[in-house]
Amino acid sequence: MIGSQNTGILGDLRVLEIGHGVSAPYAALNFAKLGAEVVKIESLEGDPSRTHGPFPDGIAHKEKSALFLAHNHGKKSICLDLDTSYGQQKLESMFSHFDLVVENQNLGFFDDRKLGFEKTSSINPSLIWTSILPFGDVGPYSEYIADDLVLFHMSGNAHGMIGPVKRPDVEPAIRAGGYQAEMVAGITASTAAMVAIHQRLKTGRGCRIVVSGLDSMITMAISGIANSAFGQPPPTRELSKEKGSSIGGMVSAIGGVLKCSDGYVAISPREDAQWERWLELMGNPHWADDERFATRESRQANVSKLWELLTEWSFPRSKFDIARSGQEKRIPCFPVNTIEDLLVDRHLDSRDFFVEISHSGAGTLLHPGLPYKLNNADIPQSMSSAPGLGEHTQEILERFTKDG
Amino acid sequence: MDNLPLSGLRVLDFSWIIAGPTAARHLALMGAEVIKIGSSRRPDPSSRSAAFQVYNQSKEYCSLNLSKQEGLEIAKELVTTCDVVIENFAAGVFQRIGLDYETLTTLRPDVILVSSAGTGHTGPDKDYVAYGSLLQHYTGWNTISGFGNAEPIKGGLWADPWVGMELAMITIAATNHRMKTGKGQYIDFSMAESLTASIPTGLLEYQMTNKLPTPIGNDDVIKCPHGLYKCKGYDEWIAISIQNEVQWENLCNLLSKPEIFENPIFSSPEARRENRIEIDEEINKFTSSLGAYEAMHIFQNCGIPSGPSLNISEAYLDPHISQSGYLTPQIYPDGATRLMPGMPWKSDQDEPIHVAPAPQIGDSNHRIYLELMGMPVDVYKEFIRTQIIY
Repeated sequence: MIGSQNTGILGDLRVLEIGHGVSAPYAALNFAKLGAEVVKIESLEGDPSRTHGPFPDGIAHKEKSALFLAHNHGKKSICLDLDTSYGQQKLESMFSHFDLVVENQNLGFFDDRKLGFEKTSSINPSLIWTSILPFGDVGPYSEYIADDLVLFHMSGNAHGMIGPVKRPDVEPAIRAGGYQAEMVAGITASTAAMVAIHQRLKTGRGCRIVVSGLDSMITMAISGIANSAFGQPPPTRELSKEKGSSIGGMVSAIGGVLKCSDGYVAISPREDAQWERWLELMGNPHWADDERFATRESRQANVSKLWELLTEWSFPRSKFDIARSGQEKRIPCFPVNTIEDLLVDRHLDSRDFFVEISHSGAGTLLHPGLPYKLNNADIPQSMSSAPGLGEHTQEILERFTKDG
Repeated sequence: MDNLPLSGLRVLDFSWIIAGPTAARHLALMGAEVIKIGSSRRPDPSSRSAAFQVYNQSKEYCSLNLSKQEGLEIAKELVTTCDVVIENFAAGVFQRIGLDYETLTTLRPDVILVSSAGTGHTGPDKDYVAYGSLLQHYTGWNTISGFGNAEPIKGGLWADPWVGMELAMITIAATNHRMKTGKGQYIDFSMAESLTASIPTGLLEYQMTNKLPTPIGNDDVIKCPHGLYKCKGYDEWIAISIQNEVQWENLCNLLSKPEIFENPIFSSPEARRENRIEIDEEINKFTSSLGAYEAMHIFQNCGIPSGPSLNISEAYLDPHISQSGYLTPQIYPDGATRLMPGMPWKSDQDEPIHVAPAPQIGDSNHRIYLELMGMPVDVYKEFIRTQIIY
C-alpha cells in the first residue's frame, strides 16, 4: 500500500469505513486512534448519528451531534450516493488504495450493487473486508434485523444489569445505556480486523470477515455460557430467591453501594481481613461484635440490617473521603463517579487520559483517549475533530479515484 | 493448527481471574500457543468455577512457583522463547518479583509485555485495590444505565469481558507493529480507562449541555416504540424497536390498527413518545397472548426488529446460537460432551478456530519443561520435589 504521513502503531494503514450509527464507526475509530488514515463514506444525508444528538445547549445541528462526534474524530468524510452508478464507480476505484473496509450495511447491500467482496478482492487481493451484521450471515436469524436493544436482550446480558427484582413479571430486565451492544460489535470487529492484518502480514492475502453482533454480545456473557454448558442454572430474577453475591443497587456481604452526603460509594470488603480493616475505618462500631455480623455467611444472612448500619455511618460522609481512606487501608472501594467527577478525577488526569479536541462548531471537548500507554509507538498526540459531512470529498476523490 | 491466523505466536500467560485470561483465551482460539503459568501455592481464584473452563480454553497450563528464585529463573528462560507476555497482577507486583519490562527486554529484546491493572501502572491511585464490579461504578459505566433518581444499578459482570476483548485487540496490534518494525512493546493497560472510553457519548453530552446524562432503562431518546413488551409466560418479554416510519406502518398493520398509523398524534417518534401509553397498551395486548419466540418470528416476518429478552441459559440454547457455528462440541475428561464457545466472527480464509477444553494446572509441565525447554529429567523431578514446579 502507498505510505501516508500518518504515524502510530498502525503506520501506513488505510481504512475505508462504510458505516453508520455506532458499531462500524467505533471499530474504525479504534484504527484512527492508533494512527491509521480512516476515510468515512457517507450518504448524501450523512450518517444518521449526525441527527441523533445530544446537541450543545439542546439545539439540533447536524455537525454537532454528540453521538457522531464521539465516534468519528480523526476521520475524513466523503459523500457518495451508492445508489447511483457514479457513486458505485467511485467506490470501486477506491478499493485498490485501501487495506481494510469496515461496514455495517444490511445483508446484501454490496452484492446488490455488485460491489461485494468477490468483486473487491479481484481488484485488491490483499483487501480485508469486515462486515458487522446483527446475526452474522448464516443461521436461522441471519435475515432478521436487530439493533442495540434487541441484541442486548437476546444475549442474556440484560438480566444482570439490575439483578433480581421484587416483581419480575412487571419489572423487565434492562439494556445498558450508551449503545453498548453496538460498542461490543465495534470492539470485536476491531479485534477481528487486527487478526486479519496479522495473517495478511504472513500470507499477503486479504480475507472477508463477518462479525455477528449477537455472538459478540454472547462473548460478553462468557462466564454465563460456561455455567450453562456445565448445567448450572441462570441467576434468578426473583429477589426473594436471591442467595448469591451481587454488587450495585443490590447489596450482599460481598459488596454494594452506600449512600453518602455527595452520592454513593461502592465497597467490597469481601474477605475477612478486608472486613476487619473496614470495621477499623468505621472506628470499630460496637454492633460489629454481634454474632449476626461475625462471618461472611452471617453477614449475608443479615444483609438488610447490615446495610442499614453501614449506611448510618456513610450517609453524612463524602464518597471521595470514604474511598480514599478505605483504599489507604487496602479495602476495595471506589466512589460512584458521575461524568462530572470523571472529568476532574486526579488519577485519570495524571495519566493524561482525556484528550482535547477542538471542533469548529461544538467547541473544545474532552474525549476519552487510549486506555493504555505504549512505550514503543509514535501515537498521534492530537487528532482532528469529526469531519463535516463530505468535508473531504474532493480531496479523497482526487487522491483515490482515477479521473477525480 | 499451522494455518490459523495467529499460528506461530507464543504467549506466556501469567494472568489470572478473568480479564487477562480472557484476552489470552481469544489469542489461543485464534491459533497462538498460549502457555498459562500458575502455582498451587496461590491458585487462580477462578479455577474452582465453571467459568475457568472458558477463560482458559485451548491453553497449555504449567505450574511454577515464582516465589522461589529457581522458579523465577525458569520463567525467565521461558520468556526468551515467547513473543508476548501477559500479566494482570496488581500494579507493581510483576516488577517486584523481578519480571519488569527492562529485565524482559534483556531476555528477549523484542518482547511484547501486556500489563493490565485496575487503574493502570502510573498515577496517584495506581495501587487501588480494584474489582471489575467496583470499576464499573468508578468509571461512570454504571451511571448511564438504569433509571434516573434511583440507586446505582448492579451493572452485570461487564468490565472483565470487555477488557478481555480490548486487550486482545491491542496485543495483536502490537504483534503486527513488531512484524513490520521489529520493535517490541510495553502495554500499560488500565481497565478503568477502557470502561470510561466505552461511554464517550455520555462524556460529550455532559460537556455540551452541562447536564448529567439521565439513564432511561429500555427507552431510547430517538426511537419509539422501543422497549420490552409482555408475552404470555411469567417474566416472558419481547424487545421491540421501531427504527423508522416504514417499520411503524408495518407494526400498525400487524396490530390491525391502521387508524393509529393515520392518526397525526402518532406521526413521528417524538409524537409517539408523548402519547406512548395508548401505543404500548396496543402492543402489549398483541404480545400478551404469544410466546416471546413466537412473537419474534411474527414481528421479524413483518420487518420489525425484535427478539426475546433471554437469560443466559436461554441464550445458550437459542436455535440461532446453536446452529450458526458459535458453539463447538467438546469432549471433557468426565466423558461428557459440552457445547463450548468460539469466536464471534467468521473468516473465509482461516482454518476453523482452535477450540479445546481448558487444561488443569501442571498438564503441560512435561511438554513445556522437558520437550520445549529441554530440561534434564532428573532436574525436572528435583524441581517437582522441591516445589519449584508446583
